[in-house]
Amino acid sequence: MPRLRERGRAAPAPGGSEPSAVGMTPGAVLEVEDLRVTFRTRLGTVYAVQGISFAVEPGRTLAVIGESGSGKTVSARAIMGLLPRSADVSGSIRFKGEQVVGRSNNEMRDYRGRNVAMVFQNPERSLNPTMRVGYQIAEAITTHEPMDRRQARERTIELLKMVRIPAPEQRFHEYPHQLSGGMRQRVVIAIALACGPEVLIADEATTALDVTTQAQIMDLLLDLQRETGTALLMISHDMSLAAAYSEDVVVMYAGKIVERASARDLFAGVRMPYTQALLDAIPRIDTEPHVLLPVVGGRPPDQSVLRDGCPFAPRCPDVQQDCRDHAPPLRQHEPDRWWACWHPIQGGAAR
Amino acid sequence: MSVPAADLLASAPAQDLRAGAAPRARGWLRNLEIAVPGTVLVVLLFFCFIWPLVYHVPDPTVGNLFQVNLPLWSPGHILGTDTVGYDIMSRILYGGRVSFEVAAAVQLIGLVFGGLFGMVAAYRGGWTEAVMMRILDVFIAFPSLVLVLAIADSLGPSETHVIWALSAFSIPAFARVSRAATLRLRDQPFVVAARLAGTKTWRIMLRHLTPNIAPQMLTFSLLGASLTIILEGALDFLGYGIPAPTATWGNMIATGESFISVYPRLVIVPSIFLLVTSICLNMMGDGLRARWGVR
Amino acid sequence: MNISVPVQPARWPGSAFVRRLASSPTVRVSARRLLSAIPVLWGVTLLAFLLLNALPGDAASALLGIDATPAEIRSFSIKLHLNEPLWTRYGHWLAGVVTGNLGTSLASPQSVVSIIASRLPVTLELVIYALVLTFVVSVPLAVVCARWPRGIIDRICLVLSMASLSTAPYVLGLLLVIVFAVHWSIFPAIGYTALSTSLTGNLDTMTLPSIVLAIPLIGFYTRFLRADLLEQMQSEDYVVTARAKGVSEWRILTRHVLRNSFIGLLTVIGLNLATLIGATVIVEQIFSLPGIGYELLNAISNRDVPVVEGIVLVFGITVVLVNLLTDLLYGVLDPRIRHVRSRS
Repeated sequence: MPRLRERGRAAPAPGGSEPSAVGMTPGAVLEVEDLRVTFRTRLGTVYAVQGISFAVEPGRTLAVIGESGSGKTVSARAIMGLLPRSADVSGSIRFKGEQVVGRSNNEMRDYRGRNVAMVFQNPERSLNPTMRVGYQIAEAITTHEPMDRRQARERTIELLKMVRIPAPEQRFHEYPHQLSGGMRQRVVIAIALACGPEVLIADEATTALDVTTQAQIMDLLLDLQRETGTALLMISHDMSLAAAYSEDVVVMYAGKIVERASARDLFAGVRMPYTQALLDAIPRIDTEPHVLLPVVGGRPPDQSVLRDGCPFAPRCPDVQQDCRDHAPPLRQHEPDRWWACWHPIQGGAAR
Repeated sequence: MSVPAADLLASAPAQDLRAGAAPRARGWLRNLEIAVPGTVLVVLLFFCFIWPLVYHVPDPTVGNLFQVNLPLWSPGHILGTDTVGYDIMSRILYGGRVSFEVAAAVQLIGLVFGGLFGMVAAYRGGWTEAVMMRILDVFIAFPSLVLVLAIADSLGPSETHVIWALSAFSIPAFARVSRAATLRLRDQPFVVAARLAGTKTWRIMLRHLTPNIAPQMLTFSLLGASLTIILEGALDFLGYGIPAPTATWGNMIATGESFISVYPRLVIVPSIFLLVTSICLNMMGDGLRARWGVR
Repeated sequence: MNISVPVQPARWPGSAFVRRLASSPTVRVSARRLLSAIPVLWGVTLLAFLLLNALPGDAASALLGIDATPAEIRSFSIKLHLNEPLWTRYGHWLAGVVTGNLGTSLASPQSVVSIIASRLPVTLELVIYALVLTFVVSVPLAVVCARWPRGIIDRICLVLSMASLSTAPYVLGLLLVIVFAVHWSIFPAIGYTALSTSLTGNLDTMTLPSIVLAIPLIGFYTRFLRADLLEQMQSEDYVVTARAKGVSEWRILTRHVLRNSFIGLLTVIGLNLATLIGATVIVEQIFSLPGIGYELLNAISNRDVPVVEGIVLVFGITVVLVNLLTDLLYGVLDPRIRHVRSRS
């Protein structure tokens, strides 16, 4: 069991403390405030998440975008309470105003699945290969609600219908490998939605699927969100997904949030060079064929070392001396627009 | 015959027992895992092979009928004497010699012939490998004790014959291990590169494959040695090993069995030595496997 | 498992049924496995025969003792067909094996098959009893160890399993006799009561021997299972899914992970069988149980070649067949193989 420990402000504050980005957001179902996750390994300490804050409201979709290693998946696992023992979690995660960090194992178990659920990246592996899919969904229900076998079965079939799996009675008895990748991911979604969670985290939920299936699954997720009013936290490395499906976007880099805005505002004018770099890396229909896509040069920084300057400075095209000396804090510069950059792009390229 | 650590490894190279090596201690504790059994083994080897050269140890096959059934800690006979007046300590030391000699010889034979067999099978692949592996399957199908027993009986009782008989189980076991290890290497870039550069097959085996499978083979030979000592004891115990007056742990246990209700120590003392030796060999093998990251 | 070479069903002659059967992955894998067992079975007969006939040592003179006259030896050799070439004898013997006739004992007028059949129940009971003991003890132990890895129970189990793995059956057998039969007199030291005579009497005589057989197996299976359980708990994504559902660690271990480990365990049982059978020989000797192993030692000391040959053969064939069976069962039990292999 991952152990969550509330260490609050007493924790060493790597990278300098930032002003709390959000206070109490009225109506938010999940609020994350100054979340820090540190892994203590034999090889040293890794500051995976260095004080991030955001909030998700019911019925809305928040996309968390970043490269692998930016801390987005670790944040999601922290919210689920699924981090290994070696992780130190501090800061606050509030579900409907109640603190999640520091809860006991039993409380966390009750919260997982019932209040917050998760859809994982790899549908090939996220289902138990030797268990019929019906049973795996039913287990999610019976874990939280006392129900006899018949009721659970009926509810499971309802769920299978809800995620638009054809012939649900038949699928109920099949094994995961008998289903296609897309179907499997629908089963995983059905498991996640089994107890009607208020928050659904989709961690790269469509990355492993082909493009057509990807669109189907995203449409399904949004439809289900509309039906159930669930808050959706979409974690991805894919800017185009965020642009197409989310209302708010948070861009993470090296364990920190570097830009935050509504999807509309963000794609109308990016401020942070890193976000711009991510955007430029998306293939576009109007570029010349056989032209190399621009890539974000260099590598994400080593997160076992804390630096003074902006973490993106070594890779940033607009880097100046002050970037290397002091990390820019995440500040609200325009209504509902936050970024962490000393030299924001003015009128950044829209797509 | 003790069950499988080694037997299973021999027959199921794909199974990763390293993960099964259970809670792995860190740092000094991990060193201890190798150091303790290592020290015990060195001490045992010293007393079995060197001590009798520098210090007078009673002849293990000359009894003194006036000093039978002496208890433990008797003067001149630390571990007492048995029913015909043999000094138990001296029989333990000379018996240990036999155990270690047989174990070493059998591992060496297995290492050379089995290692080569497995390496050739894996490196050649295709039909050659299929046929060679079926031959191994035949040998592995027989319970090692039964196979060894049948051979030892046909050859007649003597230490050399026991060694040959035990090799019938160690060669296939080593062959399995070496094949599995070679298979993992066969398509590695450095082997392919050597092959493309026109290096002769025997040279690839000697210079490229052998050093790389050595850790597997060496750790396995420690487990194999433990198994060999147990099997050799079993042969003696059943009366098909090294003939009776010779001091071996198996013979001591076998003769002790007749007096088990009167002088249980006649069984217990050699049993403890056998057990400690085999545990230490297993622990060493296991510890080295973990340390070298051998699968 | 063998991964089969793709077969083109279209080239297969015969009805649609045959073609469908041939394209079923389970059937194809099983068929391949069955076919590969045939040469091994043949090899087992060859080795069993050669072990007793080709190695130095003259059975006839050994049987008759040193004071037999050359004439006696010659007539005896003719009776045993020892004068014929090795391969002719093997041919006769193999023909008998195929038809279920292993010849007649030299020491008694009984046929080898009937001797083995009469001894079989004891050995079979011993093996089954030992396996039951093994699983009853090692499965719960492994689960507890995997629930709290590096915990106190886990560490104790590690030490004990290492010790039990290194124990010789004759050492263990005699030590248990000293403790339970000589010292405490809970169980009889030797002797056998048939199951049909008295259940309690049978258990009295079989428990100690079965424990001797089971202890090394317990050590092995506990370690093996624990490692497999832990590995899955730490690296399988479906475990994370189950945790995300809110399922408790215990339930994940016992319902999800253990289930998958059992399938792997199955093949291991087959691999351990040879060792287990080997140990029965010693245990039957120590406890004077009239099983096949006891008979084997008896026959060896009587130089009763047909019986020894027959028993060695039966042991070998049993091991091959049980391994074949576990492999086939593996294909049936693991749904991944049952269905997915059609693509490979």
